[in-house]
Amino acid sequence: MADLDATFSAFAAARGLEPVPALGLGALTPLLVESKHCQVEPAARGRLGGEVDGVVGHLAYTRNKTFRFNVALVEVPASTGFVPRLFCIRNGRRTRDDEFYGFEARHSRLWTESTVLNKRYTVSISPYQDPNWMRQLFSPALVDYLATEPPADFSFELAYGALLGSVEDDDPGADGLLALCEATAHVAERIARECGE
Amino acid sequence: MQINRTGYFLIALFGLLGLAMCIGPALFGANLETSLIVASTGGIFVLVAAGLAWYARHAKGKAAHQDWIFQKGIKGSATILEVGNSHTTVNEMPLVKLKLELDIPGVGRREVSRRELMPVFIANRMDAGLVLPAYANPQDPAEFILVW
Repeated sequence: MADLDATFSAFAAARGLEPVPALGLGALTPLLVESKHCQVEPAARGRLGGEVDGVVGHLAYTRNKTFRFNVALVEVPASTGFVPRLFCIRNGRRTRDDEFYGFEARHSRLWTESTVLNKRYTVSISPYQDPNWMRQLFSPALVDYLATEPPADFSFELAYGALLGSVEDDDPGADGLLALCEATAHVAERIARECGE
Repeated sequence: MQINRTGYFLIALFGLLGLAMCIGPALFGANLETSLIVASTGGIFVLVAAGLAWYARHAKGKAAHQDWIFQKGIKGSATILEVGNSHTTVNEMPLVKLKLELDIPGVGRREVSRRELMPVFIANRMDAGLVLPAYANPQDPAEFILVW
């Protein structure tokens, strides 16, 4: 934990972020709900990348075993009207080890032509979305970016305007945090731009 | 609601295990009393599997009907007037009671109540004043789907 504190402090200092010992983010996305208390510790807030402000922090919770994620939370308020829920989750990611349910809220798996993207992620959206808008959002540029640029274990969840990028490293180091923040900011800017069009 | 991989696994597990328990003891020459006891437990397993399969099929049919309403229906809006807690949860999802003002073009405005099973992170976003898209069945405007 001391190493993690040091990593976040060094990262915050290097990027001009405000270090925060702990921060409650609220039950905004499925991953945050898994953690029950929705608290990141340590954390830092400020400009994460590009023109995007947000919070980056370490999320740890126990559901039979302890799960550790590093997460970056940003807001894309305009997205709610276009795509209330959009999850792009690394294939094989697990977020709980205690209870599994056979039925879940309805969602649609998003079909994309990119085999590289499909191999790396499972993309799902809330039902009743405009397929044309989704195709425009998942432009070849975004698909190529997601398939090649973010950290290997990167995933993101967009739910009602809250975008949570995450990686699974226990201590990703300053470089890992930077990659997480930049990937989350890139996705946020891409979604915001598509909403603006 | 929709079935997921865990659901299919549970149906297969209960179904196959139940069948094995119904048939196995007799096949392996167990005495009548043992066979009946094991078979009755197996029968319960088979019934559970059948119930889950029926629910999955029902959910799939309902989803197909809702898809049809989305594609062919009249698009309107639903403004949340009141959010109530039913104090009921299913699979960690709260059952949310919503009072809505439904506005469907050509049909008019009316107040309706709706109970929806939602994941926690969605239920937290439901608040008075929030406007959600709604689609009414063109053949029966009283029936509608709420997009959340």
